[in-house]
Amino acid sequence: MALIEARSLGKSYGNKRAVDNLSFIVQPGSVTGFLGPNGSGKSTTMRLMVGLDRGDGVTTFDGDTFGQLQHPMHHVGVLLEAKPFHPTRTARNHLLMLAAANGIGSRRVDEVLEMVGLASVSRSRPRKFSLGMGQRLGVAAALLGDPHTLILDEPSNGLDPQGITWLRHLLRHLAGEGRSVFVSSHLLQEMAVLADQLVVIGRGRMLANGPVSEFISHSGLGAVEVRTPDRALLDPALRQLGADVTDEEGFLVVRGASAEQIGDAAHAAGARLHQLATRQATLEEAFLEATGLSEEFRGTEGEQP
Amino acid sequence: MIDALRYEYMRLRTLRSTYWLIGAAMLFQLVMSIVLASVMASSTSFGGGDSSFEIIATIGASSGFAPLFIAYIIGLIGLLSVGHEYRHGMIRATLTAIPNRSHVFAAKVVTTIVISAVAALLCILIALLSIVAFGLDLPTVSSLVELTAGTVLFTIMFSLSGLAYAALVRNQTAAVALLLLVPSVLETIIRAIVISIKGASEEPGADGGIIQLLRYLPYDAGGKLYTRASIDDLLSFLGYTPFGAVGGGIVMAVFVSALLGLAYALFLRRDA
Repeated sequence: MALIEARSLGKSYGNKRAVDNLSFIVQPGSVTGFLGPNGSGKSTTMRLMVGLDRGDGVTTFDGDTFGQLQHPMHHVGVLLEAKPFHPTRTARNHLLMLAAANGIGSRRVDEVLEMVGLASVSRSRPRKFSLGMGQRLGVAAALLGDPHTLILDEPSNGLDPQGITWLRHLLRHLAGEGRSVFVSSHLLQEMAVLADQLVVIGRGRMLANGPVSEFISHSGLGAVEVRTPDRALLDPALRQLGADVTDEEGFLVVRGASAEQIGDAAHAAGARLHQLATRQATLEEAFLEATGLSEEFRGTEGEQP
Repeated sequence: MIDALRYEYMRLRTLRSTYWLIGAAMLFQLVMSIVLASVMASSTSFGGGDSSFEIIATIGASSGFAPLFIAYIIGLIGLLSVGHEYRHGMIRATLTAIPNRSHVFAAKVVTTIVISAVAALLCILIALLSIVAFGLDLPTVSSLVELTAGTVLFTIMFSLSGLAYAALVRNQTAAVALLLLVPSVLETIIRAIVISIKGASEEPGADGGIIQLLRYLPYDAGGKLYTRASIDDLLSFLGYTPFGAVGGGIVMAVFVSALLGLAYALFLRRDA
């Protein structure tokens, strides 16, 4: 099982710094989500990790760079393109070609085609494959060498809901076997249930790195809902905690203090509490908050009528 | 390296264009060999032997008035070996299967050399079979060896130049344009300009001078490997003395080596 260690990754296009001094670790047995707005440098980072792009820094897989790996598909499965195949070469032949370079037999090719649900079209030319079918073929290629590490750039792009669910179960299963899975996605709800760890970047720079729960709990959008008949007693106590209090239809929304702190403060102030509930930010809210100033491309909401 | 060669072998084997291009080249060679051999068999001007063999094997290119058709078709296989990588985004899949870029590049060069050599040899074989079938005299051993070596070498170098163009411009269409236009249009334009300058000089018939630049037009020079007469012979009145087969072959080899060297250096440095 491989530890992915990225150290000081960097890449510039002319004067523009696309990836700036990124360092992170992907632990075996976990799914690490890679998040960032469009143009934040996610794909460039992944290409740097496997040596496709030339830049600064180094990424090792159990101590070896990608270029040092003998038969790399046995170690690291990579999906970086939506349709990385020749349109007239059959799906099976595409995989046989990749297998030939890595000492992989044709039986394994048929296995992965079955695994990704493309067995019935394995001898078809992928010219007319949908984006989702193309992604499945890309996933099949990544799994071909039964690698202990997966690097997947937007693998759920183009997949239907069933496909997304299938991919989630597959990646969770692979991580459960002790493999390292590093995956980028724009589907934040999906990432919330898939990932154990997150690497969040904006404009090529690290914004957050750690467990999903920690990323969400650190969001300023998390709050505690409080219902009390003794508002007059509780208000001064909350102000003393430095908390921000807003009134929302019958209850208070308190930010800047934990439920424990609020409960203790209420007890000390003699205020009765009828409800004390932590309201966590969603991953989407936390992500938008974290990357709010790091969007490379920002649209307008249109003219108001 | 052996893994990269296996990959290239599978890549070529599983592409329709490989079969189409080789099939088209062989069919053209077969049909034209039969036509030329049958014409020569009933002609009183051609008695068979070396000159007939040279014309049939090169489909008239040995006269210097036509390009070596087989080289243009097989050259496309060399060009597509890199062109497909960029046209269909395969380069990333290739380099994640074989991260050693030197091995990838070398494997493409080796397979291009092998395919070009085999295709050129098949053309010679088809020519010989046509000669035998129509009862023409067989060529002398020296003519057979010289023309075979020249045709094989030129086809190999032509194909490698196609590979290099594709690696340099990373655009299949642009590379095809370069492979077709540099030998047939660019060199012709340069020749016309040089001839004009020499013709307008004070002593147009004097040996040497700017006219000698024409010796270094790479494809024209390489053509001396298989031509037995040339349009360049008509330029002797301008004091032009072209290279022979060895000199011309060396000029083309240096040009193709330089192209390949530059393409290789950029292939190592560039983002995939």
